Formats: sequence, C-alpha cells, structure tokens
Amino acid sequence: MIRVAAVGDVHVDHDVVGRYRPALEQLPEVADALLIAGDLTRHGTVEEARSFVTEFGGLAVPVVTVLGNHDHQSDQQDAVSTVLTDAGITVLEGTSAVLELGGRRLGVAGVKGFGGGFGGTCASNFGEREMKDFVRVGEDAANRLEAALTGVECDALVALTHYAPVPETLAGEPPEIHAFLGSYQLGRAIDAAGATLALHGHAHHGTERGRTPGGVPVRNVAHPVIKQAYNVYQLLSDEAEVTLVHA
Amino acid sequence: MTRQVDDYLEAEIQRLLTEDDRVAEQGITVQRREQSVVLGGEVESPERRAEICRRITERFPDVEITCDIGITRTSVPVDAEEIS
Repeated sequence: MIRVAAVGDVHVDHDVVGRYRPALEQLPEVADALLIAGDLTRHGTVEEARSFVTEFGGLAVPVVTVLGNHDHQSDQQDAVSTVLTDAGITVLEGTSAVLELGGRRLGVAGVKGFGGGFGGTCASNFGEREMKDFVRVGEDAANRLEAALTGVECDALVALTHYAPVPETLAGEPPEIHAFLGSYQLGRAIDAAGATLALHGHAHHGTERGRTPGGVPVRNVAHPVIKQAYNVYQLLSDEAEVTLVHA
Repeated sequence: MTRQVDDYLEAEIQRLLTEDDRVAEQGITVQRREQSVVLGGEVESPERRAEICRRITERFPDVEITCDIGITRTSVPVDAEEIS
C-alpha cells in the first residue's frame, strides 16, 4: 500500500508560515509522500517561494508539486521553481518522478495545465489569434501530460495538475467559468495514458470527487474544498492488488 | 449619493479582489443582497480577511458590505480514502 497526502492552493506568504507546520510534522505517521496541486504562493514571487519552503520544506516525506496560475503572476515561475528544487522539493511541468516507497514505486506525472472547458461548451481553435493561442496552450499542456504519464514505469501512477481534468469536481463553481478552471484535454490525456488517480486544485468552490470518462478517480484537493491541511489517499491496498491480479 | 448595487459594481468588486496586489484572491464570492454586497469564501489567514474587507470598504465607502469570509482550517485528517 502507498499512502499519498495531497493538498493544493495553499497560497503561502509570510502570514501563513506556521499554520500548516504542526500537521505537516505528523505526515510520516499517516502518509508516504505529499503531493501539492499548485498555487503554492499568492503572487509567485521568490520571497513567497521562500516562505513556502519554510513551511513545506525539510519534511520527513518526499514532496512533489506542480505550479499554479498564482505562481505565474509575477513572471518569476522559473526562479520560484529553483527555490523549491534547491530545498529538495520536486517541481513537475510536463515531467515525471518515481518515488521508491516501502518497496513500491509511486510514479507522479505533472503539469500545471490550463483552461479550455469541457464537452459541448469547450473552446475551439478558431477565429482571433488570441483565441487560438488560448486553445493551443491548453492542448500543449495536455499533450505534455500524456507524454509524461506514458513514460513512467511504476506500481501506481498519479496525474498531478493544477487545472481540472473533469467538470464533475467543479460542481459548486459557476458554469460560466468552467472554461477557465480546466480542460477536457487533460482528462483525455489521463485516460489515454492510464493512471491510478488524478489530483488537481484551482477550483476553490468545487467538489472533491469525480472520475474521468475512462474511469480514473479524480480528486479536487484545493484547500478550501478539503478544509484540512491535506487529504490522504491509499493506493495499492491489498484488496486493490487482488482485483488487479484477476483483471 | 449612495451607489446602486448592480452588475457593474459586482464586476468591479470581483476584479478588485483578484487584481489588487494586496488581495489577489480568486476564490471570494460576491453576492448582491438587496442594496448590500455579501463577500463569501475562505482565505488562508485572518490578516487576509481583514485586508479584503478594508480594501473593499475603502474603495466603495457608500456601499454596505458584509464580510462573511472564513479561514480555512489546517487540521490533520482523521481518516484516509482507499482509491480503487
């Protein structure tokens, strides 16, 4: 069994330092790794990244993140990633990591993702250059996620994004903004590559549980949705392993 | 003269909540209640809630604002979900 702790949208600045730490110190008792689904900071500054590292760095379990849209606000996303990486935190963007946890391999492939919408109300690659750029950025992110997922060899595979891959976990958000909260292309990538679990954030008023059209469980772990320091998901439990053997 | 609470005011508040560097929140809801505005949602610290209320009241002094914003808890989970 692998125990994955997850949260997103923690928006750390100096005023948040110390709020999460007591719960994070208990992580080794309840989880084998911590995955963070973007929006680590408020404005994406290096100073805020240092506050994030003060709060989420130096933990007894590995930490893997993607960035969110807030982490891009100051155009310092590369410097923010460097601060995190220097602190031993893995930052994924169209890339993957494999963690050896108690003899099992947890694969995590991640991308920030982008908007674009879902089903019959998705954006189309048509018209003004700005509209085509909007659609292209979302498609490109999804393609890079699929490539990252496909290249991982592991026992359990998690897709980690900031933007949502399905509309079900946006329930509670106004439908008018769904196109800015996620894209069906991310869901398509997850289904094409296959994954044990998909985690995302971004939708503060959304719903925790959903599933891709291909059946992959999706969890919206935005902090205001889960309303605690992190959620814990158990992968490859004994019952699940028996099911896999007989599938 | 008291400002009318309408679509334009609602949009101005919505954009201020995101675009004002001292706020930068995308998860705050803006609801009209007769001639007042109710702000909802959750933020990461009491300082942020206070700043939001201060900024909105400062920018729209003649609008009745109810600040119904909570602070998201950071407790340890008491259970885990098995994914299958």
